[in-house]
Amino acid sequence: MGRPSKLVASIVLGAGLMALTISARAELPSEDVGQVLRLPERVGDHWLWVPDRLFRHSVLFDGDSGRMLGAIDSGLQVSPRAPLWSQERSEIYNVDTTYSRGHRGERHDYLVIYDSRSLEVKGDVELPPKTADTGTGIALVGLLDGDRFVVVLNQSPGSSVSVVDLQTRQMVAEVQTAGCAAVFPAGPSRFGMLCGDGTAINVHLKPDGALDRIRRSPSFFDVVDDPITEKGVRDGSTWWFASFGGLLYEVDFGSDAPSPKAPWPLLSKEELEDGYRIGGAQHLAYHPGNKRLYSVTHQGGPGSHKDPGDEIWVYDLPSKTKIDVFSAPNLIAPFLGPQAGFDAEGTVGSILSFVLPNMGVHSIAVTPDSKPLLFMRHADLGAVGVLDALSGEHLRDIDETGLSGALLVIP
Amino acid sequence: MSRLDRWFEGMSRQSARRLSRRSWLSRLGGVLVGGAALPLLPVARAAEKNKLGEDGVKGREGDPRRCEYWRHCAIDGFLCSCCGGSHTACPPGTEMSPVTWIGTCRNPADGIDYIISYNDCCGKTFCGRCMCNRNEGERPLYHWYRNNDINWCGGAKAQTYSCSTAVLVKAAKEAQPER
Repeated sequence: MGRPSKLVASIVLGAGLMALTISARAELPSEDVGQVLRLPERVGDHWLWVPDRLFRHSVLFDGDSGRMLGAIDSGLQVSPRAPLWSQERSEIYNVDTTYSRGHRGERHDYLVIYDSRSLEVKGDVELPPKTADTGTGIALVGLLDGDRFVVVLNQSPGSSVSVVDLQTRQMVAEVQTAGCAAVFPAGPSRFGMLCGDGTAINVHLKPDGALDRIRRSPSFFDVVDDPITEKGVRDGSTWWFASFGGLLYEVDFGSDAPSPKAPWPLLSKEELEDGYRIGGAQHLAYHPGNKRLYSVTHQGGPGSHKDPGDEIWVYDLPSKTKIDVFSAPNLIAPFLGPQAGFDAEGTVGSILSFVLPNMGVHSIAVTPDSKPLLFMRHADLGAVGVLDALSGEHLRDIDETGLSGALLVIP
Repeated sequence: MSRLDRWFEGMSRQSARRLSRRSWLSRLGGVLVGGAALPLLPVARAAEKNKLGEDGVKGREGDPRRCEYWRHCAIDGFLCSCCGGSHTACPPGTEMSPVTWIGTCRNPADGIDYIISYNDCCGKTFCGRCMCNRNEGERPLYHWYRNNDINWCGGAKAQTYSCSTAVLVKAAKEAQPER
């Protein structure tokens, strides 16, 4: 074949391929109607629940991609409670308050049981209509180790705890816990609580979930002068709590009665004099692998214990030393961007982040894997900041996470 | 850190304590659309500062529709004064919860500390206006009657939370212990 012939052949072949391409583009394959996705079998290392007070649901995000994976609804309480995830049972539990006629009528409270892959409701267990309802939703529910029992704090306004057996899907006990609040799982049949007289209690359950005994610690903190917050972090049967004045208390709930140890200061005398304070909503996070504690820190005075902080101080717990300070990202631009129609990562977003004050964050949570992410949110900005929990590098922001809320829950 | 950054940071911290959390957004909106009104602000501010409000208190500390109102020192919620009610009465169609949390606030007009009862108004959903969170003397969840996180509508017939009042109970015998 001579050169002209080759040229013609090439042109014909090229035109044919182009026609095929155009034809392929014009005729997309038809699709099935009615598809519904399911979550993957394995819970992702970097997944995160973001509960929202105004949308009244909890949304599941992938912290690596920022992609929303799904959501479960919550009831009409002020804040959704933390979703509880049993990988062993492939179920998710959520405690909801409902009313028979929308926002009015007879109150009913339920432990709602979801299939953890389809997110469909599999059933529910009715609870006494007095489950505790707070603006933060922190420490109100707990899944005990072994995934057999869920404990739910009640407030009427007297305090008690409902115990639900997940095996029989029955409420099996209401434990009277006058003067104490918040629930801290510490074993298959044991949880702790903090009390208004400066003590802690251990509530021990029998194998069927009924109350076995309650044991109380000695008084170990000053409720009036320097109270500890109920926003604790856990490693096994040990929980850590920080006081308004920055003392870190370690309490082992693994014995008959809770065993508190002597506290140590998260803030030096000089740092206290400079006005540094711990604070926020879910203001502590802890990585059980590398034993690092993360603490939201701000500068403020008396009464600032719920103020957001623009710094995250990092501590090595075994050596009781501060090892790093991370900066919280400015979440205003990621929050406003989707509402106002600008790209938060573009020029407008960069300018706004530079000009506008950093409102800081109220809440943090760290993933427990070997390449951990540190998530953070301001209670009234619908965006979540994502940092490398080891280096503090600001990796990304997840926008449109909701409107309002203080909880961050690692599944 | 630039001086501008430090200034904004200082402003932010002060405001986070003294103002409604949501008010930052309204202030941002004000800055974006209300630049033309700026020359008037000093006059308006001066007038507001000297205006006699509730309880004989001047300025914003005497205005029950402001987070800075002196009785709001330990409140957390929507101000009923902005919701069809007042600082001592619930909006129409709601019910005042009989049990509540208390704070101790100092009246700047007479220098006396008063016990303030923050009764919630219940039976309709969130008012959504004048959100205010201040925590002077506020205590954690296990110290029930000093905790402002709790939905205190738990003591009412209808338990959906709408807004919060600030009812003066009586003069306190001692000031708020603080840290």
